[in-house]
Amino acid sequence: CVSGFSPRGDRGGRGGGGWGGGRGGFSDRGGRGGFGDRGGRGGFRGGRGKNGAVVPFRRQPAEGSVTHKSLFLGGGFRSPDGGGFRGRGGGRGTPRGRGGRGGRGGFGGGKKVVIEPHRHEGVFICRGKEDALVTKNMVVGESVYGEKRMSVEEGDTKIEYRAWNPFRSKLAAAILGGVDQIHIKPGAKVMYLGAASGTTVSHVSDIVGPEGLVYAVEFSHRSGRDLLNVAKKRTNIIPIIEDARHPHKYRMLVGMVDVIFADVAQPDQTRIVALNAHNFLKNGGHFVISIKANCIDSTAAPEAVFASEVKKMSSENMKPQEQLTLEPYERDHAVVVGIYRPPPKQKK
Amino acid sequence: STAEQNGCRYCKKKLKLSRPSQVSSCLVFISAVKAVPAKAVPGKATKAASSSSEDSSDSEEEKAPAKAPLKAAPVAAAAGRKKDSSSSSEDSDSEDEAPAKAPAPKAGPGAVTKPKAAQKKQESSSEDSSDSEEEPPPKPKTAAKPAPPKKAAAAAESSSEDSSSEDEAPPTRKPKAGAYSAVPPPASIQKTAAKSSKAEDSDSSDSSDDDDDDKAAGKPAQAKAANAKPAAKPAAKTQESSSESSESSSEDEAPAKVATKPATTKTTAAPAKAPAKEKAAAAGESSSDSSSEEEEQSVKTKAGAKKATPAAKPATPAAKPAAKTPAKEESSSDSDSSSEEEEPPVKTKAGAKKATPAAKPATPAAKPATPAAKPATPAAKPAAKTPAKEESSSDSDSSSEEEEPPVKTKAGAKKATPAAKPAAKKESSSDSSSSEEEQPAKSKAKNATPASKPATPAGKPATKAAAKPAAKTPAKEESSSDSDSSSEEEQPAKSKAKKATPAGKPATKAAAKEDGSSDSDSSSEEEEQPVKSKAKNATPASKPATPAAKPAAKAATKEESSSDSSEEEEPPVKTKAGAKKATPVTKPATPAAKTPAKEESSSDSSSEEEQQPAKSKAKPATPAAKLAAKTPAKEDSSSDSDSSSEEEQPAKSKAKNATPASKPSVQQASATKKSGPAAKKVPAASTKPGGESSSSGSSDSEEETAKPAVTNGKAATPKPGPAAAKAAKSSSSDSSSEEEEAKAPAVTPKTTPTAKPRESSSSSESSDEEEAAPKAATAPNTPTANAASGKRKKGEESSSEEEEEETKLKTPKNKKAATTPQTFPKANKKSSNVPFRRIVEERVEVDPRLADNSFDAKRGSNGDWGQKANEVLRFTKGKSFRHEKTKKKRGSYRGGAISTSVNSIKFESD
Repeated sequence: CVSGFSPRGDRGGRGGGGWGGGRGGFSDRGGRGGFGDRGGRGGFRGGRGKNGAVVPFRRQPAEGSVTHKSLFLGGGFRSPDGGGFRGRGGGRGTPRGRGGRGGRGGFGGGKKVVIEPHRHEGVFICRGKEDALVTKNMVVGESVYGEKRMSVEEGDTKIEYRAWNPFRSKLAAAILGGVDQIHIKPGAKVMYLGAASGTTVSHVSDIVGPEGLVYAVEFSHRSGRDLLNVAKKRTNIIPIIEDARHPHKYRMLVGMVDVIFADVAQPDQTRIVALNAHNFLKNGGHFVISIKANCIDSTAAPEAVFASEVKKMSSENMKPQEQLTLEPYERDHAVVVGIYRPPPKQKK
Repeated sequence: STAEQNGCRYCKKKLKLSRPSQVSSCLVFISAVKAVPAKAVPGKATKAASSSSEDSSDSEEEKAPAKAPLKAAPVAAAAGRKKDSSSSSEDSDSEDEAPAKAPAPKAGPGAVTKPKAAQKKQESSSEDSSDSEEEPPPKPKTAAKPAPPKKAAAAAESSSEDSSSEDEAPPTRKPKAGAYSAVPPPASIQKTAAKSSKAEDSDSSDSSDDDDDDKAAGKPAQAKAANAKPAAKPAAKTQESSSESSESSSEDEAPAKVATKPATTKTTAAPAKAPAKEKAAAAGESSSDSSSEEEEQSVKTKAGAKKATPAAKPATPAAKPAAKTPAKEESSSDSDSSSEEEEPPVKTKAGAKKATPAAKPATPAAKPATPAAKPATPAAKPAAKTPAKEESSSDSDSSSEEEEPPVKTKAGAKKATPAAKPAAKKESSSDSSSSEEEQPAKSKAKNATPASKPATPAGKPATKAAAKPAAKTPAKEESSSDSDSSSEEEQPAKSKAKKATPAGKPATKAAAKEDGSSDSDSSSEEEEQPVKSKAKNATPASKPATPAAKPAAKAATKEESSSDSSEEEEPPVKTKAGAKKATPVTKPATPAAKTPAKEESSSDSSSEEEQQPAKSKAKPATPAAKLAAKTPAKEDSSSDSDSSSEEEQPAKSKAKNATPASKPSVQQASATKKSGPAAKKVPAASTKPGGESSSSGSSDSEEETAKPAVTNGKAATPKPGPAAAKAAKSSSSDSSSEEEEAKAPAVTPKTTPTAKPRESSSSSESSDEEEAAPKAATAPNTPTANAASGKRKKGEESSSEEEEEETKLKTPKNKKAATTPQTFPKANKKSSNVPFRRIVEERVEVDPRLADNSFDAKRGSNGDWGQKANEVLRFTKGKSFRHEKTKKKRGSYRGGAISTSVNSIKFESD
């Protein structure tokens, strides 16, 4: 990769080897941009890597001042090349994803960023010029789907956060939308139905942390492949490539769970959730269901669909507690949070 | 005065451009009515004069009124079409039924003559004698005029003014005329042919005032043409329309026609050609109506109103239809017959003009108009022409009607001759028949039918053979239609000619039957039936338009036109329109426009009263938009309805060929009396079957039973012939059985095939048929209401008409319902086939708090991190939404501050 960069320039080259490689990929993009910078950035990163440092976003400020926001570090980069600026700038450009990675350094992080915990345990808000929802990266230095990362150095420990895009994740959308409870918290055991490629699962994994577990059920082998790759690096994810309609097929893999999150977008999703709840959800456990109205009945009004689904839940010992629209992040979506076999009111 | 000035201006322009002859004509106008016309137009003018003289002789009173109406109509069309309408109404009032009749005849001849120009005018004249002959010449001139469409518009305005002035005070009119004439001379050079011829005609027929009116009409037509689309075709159409209008102006209907034409053209804007045609057709209708009788005059006024509306609301065809419908209603049944006859000619003329020979056809039309105008003048040009006409129509119907029929026949003959000798003969025959009674009409119809048959059979080829392929065929059709109206027999023949086979004949027959029935029946009733048949014819024309799009459709249209022509002038016009449409590149647009126009014309003529016009109008509007789809549907429905009565089959075939056309035809048929429409349709589909059906229809018209039989015959024949022809048959049969019912069936067919069968069954009976017709009408357009009103006015059928109206109203909306009834199995299936729904909204109780899933309805939406995204995404849909969302996913989205407030909606369980 580095060699690849070379063309671009030396910057990339300088940037550093290893990263550069990583960058390489980016570089291409950068190439498109015409920014050799990116490569440069890569370099930065590399630089950092070398530096090993990175420190809290803050540091960067000095240099960061240059960059607008590159999230994390952009600092080191600069050193590598004068072009560093660009690098940062480029980093921004990169944002599109990868940039994060390679350029991740480039994010706003560059500037001052303050991480503060969200109302939901395990979820954080990155306060800066622009706020972002983030989770603490369980696998430092790794971006699962090209999301931006921000690292904060507190004392000797470096903490890295991954941006969580509500347009990509319905759970994030629900959180941003203002759902009262997600019931997913550090240490929780979560069954995730409809894990897909594992993007949201990775964030859930971040939330539950090493103490928790995520049973990620996905029926599609193609996306399941990506899910497996995610699970490889996140030990708290248990991928299950099976049809969620047949919980008995993976019953031996799954223990009792505290929460079931469902994003299956199937006409019978309520039944699917109920089946899994009956099998794996503890009494008093919770469920979070994302409903896509068009998948239930595209001819009916979304509101009616949601109401209908809520009614179905009630008949399955699943007591809905709250509902929230996912607008504007998703169209005609709603998330319903409820409790399974709620304990007698007395308890309350 | 402004209008007149405009007219003068135009005239001047025209004169400059056109020929000296026109100038002379203008002068003539100024100087005297009859004498001047003759002088003004050397060849043609003379003919027109003779025709006018004849007409005058026939019914002086009628001529005078006719002239007044004509003037009024032109004025309305030209200046403020709306104003014109008012003026025209006045004129019609002032005049009496007689005037109205005179105009109608003229219009008819004019239409005929237009198609084939003056060539065959003589033939037609043979029947009508001087009238027919005279008319043809003017038409040729009119054709020439068409070239300057814009000028025509101006002329129309002037004419409108003239008409008003004429109504109030003949002298004033004359001065105006003089002004025009003065102008015309210059203009004559350019427009001499069209305008001068028209003017001459009008003059000859009427006094100088009439001449002025004619000119004005011609100008309006041109203007209309210009509006529609200056394109050669549009111009031609406009010319035709103008010629018609001129004719009508001479009478009253002519103006109305012109106005309608312009209006239609304006409305149709897009399909310039089509609009032009429509306008022309409308004008023709209106003119025919006025000419037909007092009612016709009222119609004219209505037409004027329509024109005015068009002018005011060029865009909204509906307004025009409405106006027309009222006029028709006023005109009442009595005037209907005469008006119908006249209208057909006008239409035919328009069609001819459109086809190619526009110039020639127009001139003929103009001639007829003039004769009519003359008769009208005698009656009285009193200020309150319209009132008088109405009254006279009711009272003097028999006499006036009789006179009118001849005039009409003459017009028809003239038209036929111009368009094509056969056609002319038919028309003449038809005219005579109408004037005399069914028998004569039949004979004429036979004559006409032959002509029409030739044209129709080949459709285009036939027309070509006649004289000018496209033009000739239309002319033939028109002629046939004319003859049909006059004589049922002729109609069949025409239908044959059109389709070259049965389809054409059936149509003609149906028309003939209608005519005959109408004749046998009270004159007013009989006339109404013919009118209906005309309406049907008109529908055929509309079909032709669609055909243009599709070859088959063309054939169908021809058939329809033939059928129409057989009934009266309207059919020919329609056929012409169809032919033109087919021939012209702009088939789609034109067809739609044509069909509407045809419908209007047919409706006008058939109902004479407002109902038919309204329907036709409504149809035109919708047709353009939905023509293709609807027409097929209509055809089907018509066929269905026919099937019940036999006509449905033909209708179906027609629908297949050219669905649009079929629909219009159906509508027209419905609009006109069922028998009439059926006959027309039949011709279109398969003249032969149609003829049978028409015959049955005629009997039916006399009695309902007869109509059913006809329908059956039509159904049989229709199948052989084009689908359109079938539809026509069905409609004709329906009309025969019951005018309204027939119409209704035709309409229903459109709505849906299944529905059609039911309707047809019902159509066999009056109630059912009526309902079907309304449906058809509604299906075509909202105008159904208008059409319905028109039907009501028709009188006898008023109750049925009312029902029809209701049905129409319902049908448009409830096409499905209609369909369901027809096919019980389907209905059952539907019931059983209720679309699967996981969520039945009606059964789901939605918490009011959750009733709105939108972002804005959420708590804390203001200032939320996603607000900006919502601003972008809320309005996007589909691909753009995906695109926008993808951009958001990239992470470039900046939402500002994130709040941790709770915005969810809690269920109150605990």
